[in-house]
Order: sequence, then C-alpha cells, then structure tokens
Amino acid sequence: MIPGIEFFVTLIVYILIFLIVTISYNMAYGYTGIPDFGRAMAAGAGGFLCGYLPGRLMAYVLGIQGDYLENSISIVDTTNAFLKGSPLMSIALLALTLFLAALAGGALGLLASLPMFRGIRLFYLGVTLLAIQIGFNTIFYYWRPLIGGPLGVTVPDPFRWLTNYSLFGIPSSSMRLVGVIITSGVVLLIVSYYCISVSRSPLGRLLKALRDDEKGTETLGRDVRKLYIEVMAVSYAFTGMAGALFAYYGGYVVGLHFDKVSWTFWPVAMVILGGLANYKGTIIGTVSFLTLRRLILFYKTELEFILPFSPVWLEDLVLGVILMLVLIYRPRGLFPEKPELTLSKENIRKIKEEEG
Amino acid sequence: MIPPLFSSAVVFANIIALMAIACTLALTRTNVPNFTAATFGTIGIYISLTFIKLFGVGLYPSLFFCFCGGGIVGVVAYYLVVRPLRKRGATREELMIATLGLDIFLIALLNIYADYLTLTFKIRTREFMLRAYDFDVGGVDGVFIVSTTIFFAVLVALHLIFTKTRIGIAMKALGEDPSLTECQGVNTETLCTLTWFLVGALPATAGGFYPVYWISNPSVSLFLVVSVFASCVLGGFATIYDAAAGGYIIGLAQTLLISYMSKFFGSWILSYGFFVALLVMIITVFLFPQGLYGLPWNETVKKVRKIFRFREKPRGI
Repeated sequence: MIPGIEFFVTLIVYILIFLIVTISYNMAYGYTGIPDFGRAMAAGAGGFLCGYLPGRLMAYVLGIQGDYLENSISIVDTTNAFLKGSPLMSIALLALTLFLAALAGGALGLLASLPMFRGIRLFYLGVTLLAIQIGFNTIFYYWRPLIGGPLGVTVPDPFRWLTNYSLFGIPSSSMRLVGVIITSGVVLLIVSYYCISVSRSPLGRLLKALRDDEKGTETLGRDVRKLYIEVMAVSYAFTGMAGALFAYYGGYVVGLHFDKVSWTFWPVAMVILGGLANYKGTIIGTVSFLTLRRLILFYKTELEFILPFSPVWLEDLVLGVILMLVLIYRPRGLFPEKPELTLSKENIRKIKEEEG
Repeated sequence: MIPPLFSSAVVFANIIALMAIACTLALTRTNVPNFTAATFGTIGIYISLTFIKLFGVGLYPSLFFCFCGGGIVGVVAYYLVVRPLRKRGATREELMIATLGLDIFLIALLNIYADYLTLTFKIRTREFMLRAYDFDVGGVDGVFIVSTTIFFAVLVALHLIFTKTRIGIAMKALGEDPSLTECQGVNTETLCTLTWFLVGALPATAGGFYPVYWISNPSVSLFLVVSVFASCVLGGFATIYDAAAGGYIIGLAQTLLISYMSKFFGSWILSYGFFVALLVMIITVFLFPQGLYGLPWNETVKKVRKIFRFREKPRGI
C-alpha cells in the first residue's frame, strides 16, 4: 500500500511542529550543552494551556453559562460555529493563545532552570527535569479541574473559518489543515530566524564557549547561570508554541499527550542524529525520524505479519538503538559542527583578495 | 504482627534503596548517570515471574536468578554501550543520553518478552502480582523479613568490600581517578565489569520483591525511576550509605505520608504518591544540593556532644 496525500499532509504538519521543538532544543543542548530532559513539559505548557484557556475564554465571551468541563463538547461546538463565521476573532484567539503558550513555556523554562542558581551539576538538572516532567503530566492527567483529567477536553478550532473557502482546488474540508501548516510555518520561520541569528552572533559563540568550558567562560567574567536560565526560558517559550499548535491541530488534549518519549526523547535523538549546534543536521534529523515514525505507524498492519513481535514496540526499539548507536559511532551526528564564521565566506574572500 | 502499611512501606524502602545504591555506584565508580536502574528492577520482576511460572521455582529461590540475570544484563550493557562510550571519552551528558536510549530499548524488549510469555505459555504478564508465593511467619509477611535482611546484608557486604578488600578499595580509587588507578597497576576494566554486574544485579534482586505487594507490568519503572532519582539526589550521588538513607527516607515517606494524608484529603491523593519523592527532590536541589552527603555531620555530632557534655577522649601521644 502506497501512502496517500493524507499521509504526506500529516507528515508535513508533524515536521513543521517538531522542527520548532528540535530547533529550540538544539539551542539549549546543541549550543549551550544543557541536557534538558523536560522538553515535553514545555510543549505540555502550551498544549495544556490550549485545553484550559481558549474554550473557557470563548464561553465567557459568548456568555455561555454552566460548568465548562461538564459541557465542554457542546460549548466547543457552539464556539466553533461562532469562530467559523468570525475570521478576525479566530485569528485573535490563535495569536493570543500562541503568545500565552510562549509565556507559559518561558515561565516554566525559568522555573525549571532555577536549580542552576544553586550551582548544581548539569546532569542533576537533567535528572530533576525528567522527574518533574513525569509529575507535570501526572497532574494534568489526574486533576480533573484543569483539562478534564483522564477524559481530556476538546479544543476550539481557530482554523474553522478557513473551511468557508477553497483555494487551488483544495477541498474546503481540508482548508483547516492548510491553516495549521501556514501558521506552523510562520512560527517555525520566526523561531528559525531567531535561533540562526543568535548562533551567528557573538551570543552564539558565547553559548558554545559556555558549553565547551563552563569554568573558563565564568573566568572571563560571564554570568553563566544567567545565560543558562535565559536560554532555557527562550527555548521553552518556543517549544510552548509548538505544543499549542499541536493541540489546535489535534483538537483534543489529555494529560497523556506531550509524553516524554515523543516530546523529549525523540527530539533528543533527532538533534543528536543530525549533529549538535547545526541547523542543517537538525532539519535532516527531524525529517528523517518523523518520516520513519509515521511510516511505522502507517505500515503497522503489514508489519504485524513480518515482525515476530507487535509493531507497537518497534518505535521504541528503533529509538533506543539509534540513540545508542549514534552516540557510540557518530557522536557528532550526520553533519558535524563547523566553526561559525563571523563574516560570510564571500566577505572573507574579498578581504583576502584586498589584502593579497 | 506488623501492620500491613508499615510492612509495605519498609519493603518499598528496601527496593528503592537497593536501586539507589546501584545508581550511585554507577555514577561514583564509572561516572555514568544511569537511567536504567529502575528498568533493571523490572528485568528482575520478569526473571522472577519466569522462574516461578515456568520452572516451578519458589519466589525467594528465584531471587538468586534475578541477581545473576540482572548482573549479566548489567555486564552486557557495560560492554555494548558504556565501554565504547567511555573509550572514546564521551561526556557525562552523552553517557546519560545513551543510558536513556538503553532504558527505552530494555522497556520495549520487556514488553515483547511479556507478549511472548502470554502468547506461548498463556501466563498473565501484565497487571499481575505474586503475593500468593509469599510465606507468613507469625503474622509477618515473608517479603518484609527477606527484603529487609537482604538489604542490610547487601549494605554490610558492600561496606566490607569497599573498606576491607583490595578490590573494593581499588573500586573506590577508580571512582576518584581512573587514570591514576590504572597507573597503580589496577585492571580498571575488571573493576568496571564488576561494578556494572552490581549495577544490574542489585536492582534486579530488588525487583523480585516488587510483585509481592504491587501490581506489576513492563513499564513499572517509569514511576519507580522518580523515587530512585529522588533517593540518589537526596543522598547526594556520593556514597552507598547516603543512597541507602535517601532510599529509606523516600520509600517510607512516599508510602506512609501519603497514606496518612489520605485520611484528611481523601483517597484521590494516593494517585500522587510519587509527588512526595518529587517534592523531596526539589527541596534537596534548592536547599542542600549536595544532599545528605553534604550536610555538616561532623558539626552536628560536635553540637550533640556539647549538649550532652560528652568530652572527647584525649588523643594518645
């Protein structure tokens, strides 16, 4: 069976959203060397905010009475009907949620990196963040007042108004996916522009110096704790937006979403495979891993006849093996890090010519 | 007669403490932040289940196989993953991510093995307990007696090994400075292999006790790992004694405190059991990041002596 258009559209959405996660993670781990194992928490901050806020906000705006969680399906239906006829309100809701998701992610990044002020070792932070992240998801899964506990909650659809239109022969029912792709693409462009600019600036070189020699950087008068915290806050803010986009794309949020395997371990593997502190590698790592994951999911039924075990476990096996093999045999990834040039190659050539 | 709650709290503390000791050993002796400690425990659970159900071995004799099996897995993990990374001079963060990969891989393998046992031998391998295989002495559960005895035996044995034997002292030296240890003619490879045997064997043995009181499945380590890390952080990732103390504090607090609190707040709070561990971990990181190990114990002893007016004996000339 050959994958159809739906497969590729879903893959594109996943690639765009996960690129936001991996590029921001690359800034934290690749450039600064922070072994952040709480990335799923940042995505969850945005995603769970989508489950908590927009529905309640719209219910308040539309004057809908009653307990939100009890009547969430009918409230979201009413909200979606309203949003379908109100593009401005939809865009405002989307922009507000993305902004708040970034804020929530950033605040969480700030909180998560506070132990740095105590001068703890970096691996301590990794261990602590992994544990905190499990706790974070558990709260959202069990505590009903937040996003409905184990039942989860539906999310209003700010892309619904696009279904009124049809462009380039795309059926109107698929137009919301076009909206998700465009919004994710815009957010990705902003995040990429910021991260690439940082990496090419003196700040980028400072972050690399910090990663390579923390004590040395401190000796040169830099406040390394402040740097760690700033990087974590910015990087978490970006991932928070990715979480919000994913929640809007799915239209439903539950505490089990934004789990540590999909949103922490896979992004770690993507960044490591591609190569640290290297955007080309990050993009290739993300695209190849996501394609592999989606293909495993797509060919699940076929794989059941081939594999001597359930294909459900294949993803984890592949992830584990790749993480270990890449670290052992290709620790610098497919595209090893190159020195960042302060000037473009062309400028350097011109200067050489002038001097020569 | 021991109250069931106290009994389960102590057994849980024994399990967590043994895993925390193994985790601390991996870090202090071989410089590897080991994420697989709790999953080695799950391997123990399934070795125990296999020997009980397939070979008719008793619950406690199966612990021997848990010890050996876990140790072998630990050594294999060392040779296939840790050793190549150490050889190429991997950073601590890289080693941490590699053990994370190993953890994911092992959990997937355990799930496949559980499926295999169910399909081939029609054994229940998920959401199972092995309480029926435990014994009872005058109202005291066997698991309480055996797990406590094994925990203290392990602690005493490790203490003797690390203080009285040449190999134990060499292992301590390995943790301090591997190059210097090698210069002294010590075969560090053998020591690392031995350490990783213990790193696998201790949690696997502890895992053998787990299904007696708690429902088990291949992914049980996902929550246990929080308690194990919390114990290590509380201990300070320094010595086996601090790790054991940390494990006991976390294990007892997680079971007894939550049960006590449920009387006031309702049974819903039981779902948040591991939050006690998480909270202790956060408090430790913020208030005394070096854990129990870093606390000024000498000063405390001096103060206590002052209070009770104990005079230090004059030292001989």
